[in-house]
Amino acid sequence: MRRRELLGGSIAALAMPAIITGARRAEAADENQLTIVSWGGSYQDAQSKAEFEPAAKALGITVKQQTYSGLAELRLRVKSGAGGWDVVSSGSGTAARAGKEGLLEKLDYSVIDAKSLISGTAQPYYIGNDVFSTVVGWSTKTFGKNGPQNWVDFWDVRKFPGSRAYRNNAMLEPALMADGVPMHEVYKVLSTEAGLKRAIDKMKQLKPHIAVWWSSGAQSAQLMKDGAVDMIAAWNGRLDAANKDGAACAYTYEQGLLDTDCFVIPKGTKKRDLAMRFIAEISKPKYQADLTKYITYGPTNEKAYDLTSIISPAYAAQLPSSPANTAKQLLIDDAWYMKYYQKAQAAYQDMITG
Amino acid sequence: MKALAAEGPNATELGRDARSERWMLFGLSLPALLLVGLVVVLPIAWLFLLSFQTEGGAFTLANYQRLIDQPSYRRILAMTFEISLTVTAMCIVLGYALAYLLAQLPRRVAGVLMLGVLMPFWTSILVRTYAWLVLLQRDGLINVIGEHLGFWQKPLALVYNMEGTVVGLVHIMLPFMVLPLYNSMRAIDRDYVRGAANLGAGPIQVFWHVYLPLSRPGLFAGGTITFILCLGSYVTPAVLGGGKIVMAANGIAGDVELYFSWGPASAFGVVLLVITLTILFTASRFARLDRIFGGGA
Amino acid sequence: MTPSPTDARPQQKGLPIRVRQVSKTYGRAVALDQVDLDVQSGEFLTLLGPSGSGKTTLLMVLAGFVRPNQGSLHFGERDVLRLAPHKRGVGMVFQSYALFPHLTVAENIAFPLKLRRVPRPEAMRRVEAVLDLVQLPDFGGRGVDALSGGQRQRVALARAIVFEPGILLMDEPLSALDKQLRERMQIELRALHDRLGITTVCVTHDQREALTMSNRIAVIDRGSIIQLGTPKEIYDRPSTRFVADFIGESTFLPVTGSGGTFRLGAQALKLEGYTPPPGANLLMLRPERLALLPEGAPGPDPRYNVITGRVTDIVYQGESVLVQIRLDDGGTVAARVSSARAALGAVPVPGASARLAFAPEDMNLLCGEAG
Repeated sequence: MRRRELLGGSIAALAMPAIITGARRAEAADENQLTIVSWGGSYQDAQSKAEFEPAAKALGITVKQQTYSGLAELRLRVKSGAGGWDVVSSGSGTAARAGKEGLLEKLDYSVIDAKSLISGTAQPYYIGNDVFSTVVGWSTKTFGKNGPQNWVDFWDVRKFPGSRAYRNNAMLEPALMADGVPMHEVYKVLSTEAGLKRAIDKMKQLKPHIAVWWSSGAQSAQLMKDGAVDMIAAWNGRLDAANKDGAACAYTYEQGLLDTDCFVIPKGTKKRDLAMRFIAEISKPKYQADLTKYITYGPTNEKAYDLTSIISPAYAAQLPSSPANTAKQLLIDDAWYMKYYQKAQAAYQDMITG
Repeated sequence: MKALAAEGPNATELGRDARSERWMLFGLSLPALLLVGLVVVLPIAWLFLLSFQTEGGAFTLANYQRLIDQPSYRRILAMTFEISLTVTAMCIVLGYALAYLLAQLPRRVAGVLMLGVLMPFWTSILVRTYAWLVLLQRDGLINVIGEHLGFWQKPLALVYNMEGTVVGLVHIMLPFMVLPLYNSMRAIDRDYVRGAANLGAGPIQVFWHVYLPLSRPGLFAGGTITFILCLGSYVTPAVLGGGKIVMAANGIAGDVELYFSWGPASAFGVVLLVITLTILFTASRFARLDRIFGGGA
Repeated sequence: MTPSPTDARPQQKGLPIRVRQVSKTYGRAVALDQVDLDVQSGEFLTLLGPSGSGKTTLLMVLAGFVRPNQGSLHFGERDVLRLAPHKRGVGMVFQSYALFPHLTVAENIAFPLKLRRVPRPEAMRRVEAVLDLVQLPDFGGRGVDALSGGQRQRVALARAIVFEPGILLMDEPLSALDKQLRERMQIELRALHDRLGITTVCVTHDQREALTMSNRIAVIDRGSIIQLGTPKEIYDRPSTRFVADFIGESTFLPVTGSGGTFRLGAQALKLEGYTPPPGANLLMLRPERLALLPEGAPGPDPRYNVITGRVTDIVYQGESVLVQIRLDDGGTVAARVSSARAALGAVPVPGASARLAFAPEDMNLLCGEAG
């Protein structure tokens, strides 16, 4: 469930008619051109260099890249019948909801080889492409190497005094883990009324110590770079990016929330088959392994780790989807998000504003 | 008179001319009317319609029910008004002083300084807001200087809260306050001030009894513009509010992402619009009263 | 200040004003050049001059809005030179009236009383009394915007006198009114002044206004008082050609001579009882002071000078007829004949010869440039 670049949302919505007419014109231009839509920024740069451009070359087609702001934009495009988008990069939770809403084409796994993918990442409407994790991060300036090592520590304001940053959108799994719920029971508890309340109450406990509720990955990285907070719950790739940019932070995969970015084919595309072949291509180990060169998000195709010339074992250990790291983490349950997210978010909003 | 108008020489022809002139005027303003209808009335009507629809397009009041049931909406509205009022009040204090200073200066000097007031208009709100972030944050310039000079020991929480948001908004809104204030102050005849002084009023009394009442139209205009623009703030609370400061526009954006349909966000938008219009209407009544009393001089 | 219970008539008499050596320059421009002026207690004095002459600057110095470069200024015994305007206690009627648009008529008039902490019932009584005085009873509740020009003028006056100042200043008080109203207000202002006995200094560029209202007139030009005197003195015996030109109509004819004898052309002027200034070289004649003698009529009183010429033009001006005459000795003069006399056939036709007569008190001999 990624809801990035909230800032861009309404601006994009305002500019929608222009985008739609623009896309219509482009669509007719080339039979062998695919329009790929992603989140922009450093993430799309990485995708473009490791996956989109090489795969297009291999298939003998061209790709045209666009950016979008989220589900609302995808929804409007599909429902208005504007079309023009062939392949869209999306968070898995969002993709699950979009699939349920009937916005997506079913994926054809006779074309796409998903046998070596991490189990649960190849779904009827979406296929995982990279794995990232929401982790406990800390400023090494404040804590050195001995920062909070799990969510219990993150909640422990006596042992780890200091300001914290946390997600602006509902993220309740850490609260339950901090409250002592074992990792494998988190979603079971969270699916009950009492469990949801328990998580929200736990959030309320930490709330006075949360200085910033971040709303975009870029913002979370900036917070660490600026030294605005001492601890953060953030996406691991963003923290690495912040470090590259001069921040001093560390993080642990312990109790991390493992999540996948995936690809979908929106309804209304006129190039469904080509899009399918394109997704099949970029799901191959080689492309996914290459992606790790640009961003510390792990591959979903486990065979990518076999390409040790690209992913050294030492580097693999740093990626969220390496087997050793996977074992420490909780895989995000898309089904829970589909069912309870709206309710959870409403309660979360009440908690933040209360 | 009536009989004269109907029966006098050329009365029919002149009447026809008057009517055709009216039609021509209407024809000339038609494009503008259509444009306004297209870009203002139609979207608002659409917004209104959407707010009463389910995802499937059926009629529902659920979107409004949610606004009542979920306490966060009330709090967001309350926070929006609290911030807007605070910002407007601060803009009035700062803007009045600034406009007063400008109005006392020779026009040419004031013109140059006014350019400085307007300069921020040329840079994007986002850039200006991030500039405040750089200044106000924990390791920001103000904290660094303050700690270095020993004014305070631990970094002050200047941003990611209400205070930081208000500072950023005041900076953005100030020109909207200064411009109408400056104009209404420039329109105050020097004789009023001299007259009051002549009648025995000291500088403070002149200001209180004469200058302030006469600059009230500008104060009303600036205050209303500032307040209403504030209600629609989005970027500044998003950047400087640290997620804790959620104003109406931020809430609306969140709803757009969260729900399958536009209904919830539309309903919130309609509520904000209605409240804003009510304020505008009330303010305009005040302003009109003011004109009756001759404040527009 | 002792408030009077029933009317706005001041208990104290107006204060005298003493101006000494007052100068004011704006950069290189001299607005006032070492002006000395004494205004008597209860006097109505008008500062008359063309625009830019410095008359308004002098008034503003009195009010305290212009700080002079040097000089001294006393109201009565009080040195007010360095006193702020609001401490001077003078009433003032502005050219724009400066009535506060956000206040009603009554609130405007009560304004100076409020500042002086006059109790409300007392203030209301005085507002009513002064509104009666300026003939605007029952106008108290009106907005200022709803008033006509003349009504505003009265309200401004009422506001300026309601707090019973010893001195009243007026800056072109009637210039915004139309001619008829202006003339009526001149009479009214004069009557009001007579009643109140308040020392009044009025600035105007309108000579008629000055002549009608004033006890004395100070004619100002280029920052200096050129002549100070009663209206009659100023009109009948202007001291310079500038004053003569500025007030009333006049014709100038060059004269020669010195000592007791002056000649217009070849004709010696009869000066019985009149001592011209030494070195005078101009004869000033006012059209209405020239008597046009009917054809064949016997000569007038021997005191009169008689000059002859030929009618060149006749201009009908409503209340009078202006006759242009080219003199036999050279030069042109104008003579005014009232319409009543013109109807009786006192006006010759163009081309006819004409004789004009004037007594010594109807003429003036001045120093100045001819032309």
